[in-house]
Amino acid sequence: MQYVSASSSGEAVELLTRAGGKGVIMAGGTDLMVEFKEGKICPECFIDVTKAADMAGISADGERLVIGGAATLTQIARSPLVKRYFPSLAQGCGCVGSLQIRNSATLAGNVVSAQPAGDGAMALAPLDPVFTVCSAGGEAELTMGEMYAGFAKSRVDHSRQLVKRISIPLPQKGEAAAFYRLELRKSLSLPMLNCAAMVHCEGKTVTWARIAMAPVGVGPVRAAAAEAYLKGRELTEAVMARTGELALENANPRSNPLRGSREYRLEALPVIIRRTLEACRAQLS
Amino acid sequence: MAQLHTTINGEPITAEVDPALSLAEFLREKMYLTGTKIGCGKGECGACTVILDGKAVTSCIIPVLRAEGACVETIEGLERGGRLHPLQEEFVNKGAVQCGFCTPGMIMSSKALLDANPAPSKAEIREALGGNVCRCTGYVNIEQAVEAAADRMRRGEG
Repeated sequence: MQYVSASSSGEAVELLTRAGGKGVIMAGGTDLMVEFKEGKICPECFIDVTKAADMAGISADGERLVIGGAATLTQIARSPLVKRYFPSLAQGCGCVGSLQIRNSATLAGNVVSAQPAGDGAMALAPLDPVFTVCSAGGEAELTMGEMYAGFAKSRVDHSRQLVKRISIPLPQKGEAAAFYRLELRKSLSLPMLNCAAMVHCEGKTVTWARIAMAPVGVGPVRAAAAEAYLKGRELTEAVMARTGELALENANPRSNPLRGSREYRLEALPVIIRRTLEACRAQLS
Repeated sequence: MAQLHTTINGEPITAEVDPALSLAEFLREKMYLTGTKIGCGKGECGACTVILDGKAVTSCIIPVLRAEGACVETIEGLERGGRLHPLQEEFVNKGAVQCGFCTPGMIMSSKALLDANPAPSKAEIREALGGNVCRCTGYVNIEQAVEAAADRMRRGEG
């Protein structure tokens, strides 16, 4: 087995091409190393992108916030730019695993590992991010919905592609976003449920809403019926409660021996959706 | 095999390594620095915590070649001229050690915190130690040990 550190995304793609499908991109490696040690993946080469200069850092260009594919969750959670524009994203990234994990793991990796309830990916989901994905064929731009191919399965093939950066449109007047996590413990535990929402209001009326919830299906699941209901209404107690109920139309949670039965999750989901919307409303008022 | 150039506890090292090794395996089996423990082997217990370029990481899931050109600190590097680090002394003074298996990881997480933040709040201490699991002491004495060590270090010790 070889281990090569790439100095740029272009070099990483070249190395992938040379490996002919037998190389694998590694960012933080906090999931990949476990899979490698368990024999679930046996690449001939790991291509480390943590030192790829064009995949580092977090910046804002006046229109969007740009998060490098190699930016760690700690860098994102503590970034003044992220905290200023998207505090819910800083909060979600700060919930993943433990500080040691967040010091290595990346937000791009949290999306590509495609676990249904990754806190970083969930907090990102309603913010309308665009993923710049590089391969030998060039660059492509994928939306959040296009990143997931199935349960724990990403559309990004890490033996041929890499996520170079994540771009998020900067928030506009009247927009608010929030993230909420129902948890057994603060550290080293996956959420029982998590939810993230972004709403836009003109005056008191919601013009659009994006609500993501997990783990209730493949990746962050959009509460489409709830979003449609919310459009054109005010965020009153009754409307937020009804929105939570309608989210169940798109939710299909499984039972988990540690993190709650299907029945429990179906009872709790409307409540955490209501609380997430309450947090959005508090920011708007 | 590949060549690794790194610095461990201030000492420059060049070694032939198997790239499939984790940093924890390398430290224990090649450098004989067995203070770093391997518990779960999945980054979930924190026993293998070391400091890599100033950041606490779980070395059992860090590929050894990520240490190329980096500075690695382990529990063995804390003692200075026969004198324990204030964190080590306060873990003893406060009874923050029982079986001791988690202790090196706890202390390295604490050291990374105090190096960056000499006056942490309780919440910050808890965040820094949230990834370190102890199955016998409980966490109160550990938290107190970190607070006491921070106090001493602010007064110029360590």
